[in-house]
Amino acid sequence: MKKLLTSAAALAAMATGAFAADDVTLQLKWVTQAQFAGYYVALEKGFYEAEDLNVTIKPGGPDVAPVQVLLGGGADVMVDWMPSALAARENGAPVVNIAQPYKSSGMMLTCLKESGITGPEDFPGKTLGVWFYGNEYPFLSWMGKLGIATDGSDGGVTVLKQGFNVDPLLQKQAACISTMTYNEYWQVIDAGISADDLITFKYEDQGVATLEDGLYVLEDNLGDAAFKDKMVRFVKASMEGWKYAEANPTEAAEIVLEYDETGAQTMKHQERMMTEVAKLTAGSNGALDVADYERTVSSLLSGGSDPVITKEPEGAYTLEITDAALN
Amino acid sequence: MKNLTAILTVVAALVVLWYGAAIKMNSTWTYDQAERAGTQVTFSELISDTMSQSRPLLPAPHQIVTELWKTTVEKKITSKRSMIYQGSITLKTTLLGFALGIVLGVASATIIVLSRIGRLTLMPWAIISQTIPIVALAPIIVVLSNAAGTGTLMVPKAIIAAYLSFYPVLVSMVKGLSSPDAMQLDLLRTYGASQSNVFWKLRLPSSMPYFFASLKVSVAAAFVGAVVAELSTSAIAGLGARMLIGSQFGEPMIMWAALFAAAILAAILIFLVGTFERIARQLMGGRTA
Amino acid sequence: MNRPDTTFEKIAWPIGFGLAVLVLWEIVVRGFGVSPAILPAPTAIAAAIRENPGTLWEDWVQTVLKGAVNGLWMGTLAALVVALIIDRFDFLKRGLLPVANFFAALPIVGLAPIMVMWFGFDWHSKAAVVAVMVFFPMLVNILGGLAAVDPMQRDLMRTYAASHAQTLQKLRGPAALPFLFNGLKIATSLALIGAIVAEYFGSPIRGMGFRITTEMGRLATDMVWAEIVVSAVTGTALYGLVAGIEKRVTFWHPSQRG
Repeated sequence: MKKLLTSAAALAAMATGAFAADDVTLQLKWVTQAQFAGYYVALEKGFYEAEDLNVTIKPGGPDVAPVQVLLGGGADVMVDWMPSALAARENGAPVVNIAQPYKSSGMMLTCLKESGITGPEDFPGKTLGVWFYGNEYPFLSWMGKLGIATDGSDGGVTVLKQGFNVDPLLQKQAACISTMTYNEYWQVIDAGISADDLITFKYEDQGVATLEDGLYVLEDNLGDAAFKDKMVRFVKASMEGWKYAEANPTEAAEIVLEYDETGAQTMKHQERMMTEVAKLTAGSNGALDVADYERTVSSLLSGGSDPVITKEPEGAYTLEITDAALN
Repeated sequence: MKNLTAILTVVAALVVLWYGAAIKMNSTWTYDQAERAGTQVTFSELISDTMSQSRPLLPAPHQIVTELWKTTVEKKITSKRSMIYQGSITLKTTLLGFALGIVLGVASATIIVLSRIGRLTLMPWAIISQTIPIVALAPIIVVLSNAAGTGTLMVPKAIIAAYLSFYPVLVSMVKGLSSPDAMQLDLLRTYGASQSNVFWKLRLPSSMPYFFASLKVSVAAAFVGAVVAELSTSAIAGLGARMLIGSQFGEPMIMWAALFAAAILAAILIFLVGTFERIARQLMGGRTA
Repeated sequence: MNRPDTTFEKIAWPIGFGLAVLVLWEIVVRGFGVSPAILPAPTAIAAAIRENPGTLWEDWVQTVLKGAVNGLWMGTLAALVVALIIDRFDFLKRGLLPVANFFAALPIVGLAPIMVMWFGFDWHSKAAVVAVMVFFPMLVNILGGLAAVDPMQRDLMRTYAASHAQTLQKLRGPAALPFLFNGLKIATSLALIGAIVAEYFGSPIRGMGFRITTEMGRLATDMVWAEIVVSAVTGTALYGLVAGIEKRVTFWHPSQRG
């Protein structure tokens, strides 16, 4: 009897031990794909578990604003682009960047050569497809810098809210559309248009790159030492996942496919995406480069008559988490 | 039988029209591609190419049937690529919304019929509620239920489905509950029946034919609501989500197959509820109208 | 209990109820400090409407006047023409009516992304979605209306030696009107839904659906609600308009008496 009791107690201790793993919910910016491979790899390979974390990953979608999920308490940490995070911050959603796994921007404007576009000076009078829902900011600040009007007035460009597909370009409804190096660009190629028929403008090359997928949390939570500790472990394990994914793109793509609930992703697409994504994450160890941050902010502030943010943000990032996680 | 021939003729005519339209609409891409490659297109090449593009403007009917076959019969139903799996998710939302809509519709109809103030207050708002495009509210409903702590999208989706499906029930039940005429009401009063007696013994039974008649409209509305909800709330599973995903990943075949799967599911649902209605009427001794 | 409702009561109760909800809403938002990114207070929504009449007007013109209204008349007209043709041929009626009934119950909004692919980003694709959405309910209602004459009345027309056109004009047309208006009431709210959903799948940078998704992404929920208010008012006004015309045109019908 006594033996039974002790084993029951041991069992209970084990159970509470398992329960004691801290819950973390991560809200992604978009659907499950290799863009977020690092987090899925960390989950699948047990990197989170090793840090005593119980992580749930929530995919996003076209009408999910990660910030709202964060504010509503539906997630602890989110993946978002800096322009939309800073815009949200200015609109009263106090989010803070705690890590930046993506060093470079993958955003491009892809145009059909037959539209007659050879450089940005040819844009006026053309129709350009742009993503909205918080993704329009890099484009708006680029056009602001070029001094091209986007409100439909003369001498400006006609802006379309494009869906998240490449049809407007294929159907010639737009001269150029927004693409990511790791996703939509390849959809155009897959559709049967050769790279020679296309001309692309990378935001990086145009000097208007803004920081993409970073990790953000609510400012209030950072006052809590337990939460901070949780985030340190989360960032550490996530970066481990990212570096593993970079080194093993095929395995990473397989893991992502395993978690894809839509059943619409293919191995070919995800493997290629992983290879392209690795180029963007390779330059980062997870820590935010303050110079990148400042470039993003100044690009967003200089948006011509309608800047994305109106004043220099304060406290929009912290290096504390990555300092603790990476040392 | 004569009806069947007529229906089949009409459907056959539609299919022929469809093939013609598919050739016409998809030919632009064929010509563009030929021009980029610097080749000429013969007529037979044109036909075969327009019938088999991987991202056509309008797929030929047999392409859709093939895709449907591949995603239903040839896939395990637990697979996320199976239309049956995706359809079952939409079905769950529909039924939950339908049930919620019935409860809401019957409850508010009862209030409206029993209380004068309830009628004056609720009836105009019930009508107004249906003129508000629910899709405008969809993102708000998602955010609010997220904030209220419901982890899944099931609740907001069912709310949207219920929003559309409660109205037909409400309208019919108001009619049904007030269908007993003054003579019948007077009779019960001479029996000394209380308000609740009148409701349970007279109003509710006489409202039943109206109730069953409203179910078919209501379930169709719930289904449309479920699909709209999946389209506008970033759901990741369900037929509406498949349409969205097909559109987003440049896989128009997925979109068309989902659209047809939705059509088939809607037909089955309406047929089942219709049959249920007929049986219920017969059991209650009513006539089949 | 049997006292008839006065006009005052008919107006005061619903408005009072609406106001009570608004006040409660305001209190909840302020009292619990709900973040404006999740639910804005009614006063904030009112302020957004006051401050952005230009934007709201531009969106309204794009979505309602260009998208919904154009689609509505195209769909209705097409349904009317098809109904009149079908009505002449019994074979078509038996073949098409079940098919139309089937289509009327379908989630046609699913066509929205396809229509955007076909008809481009501007209001044309929105009008196309709306036209298809309203076509089937209108068709079914009009056909139902045309059949709503009893044989006795038809026989009477025949004894007058009335032609098909005359019967249509003097008897069956008027008899179908209540059904037509019934269909129109359904169609107006469908039209708004269709026009807004279609904008989710691609649009120029104006329109109510565009604004709702974009402002939602910017966390400007007060603007989202402002658009919802506009769409609700529009939907109610359209319904009221149809009901008003119906009252004038079908004053003779039993449902309008008393």
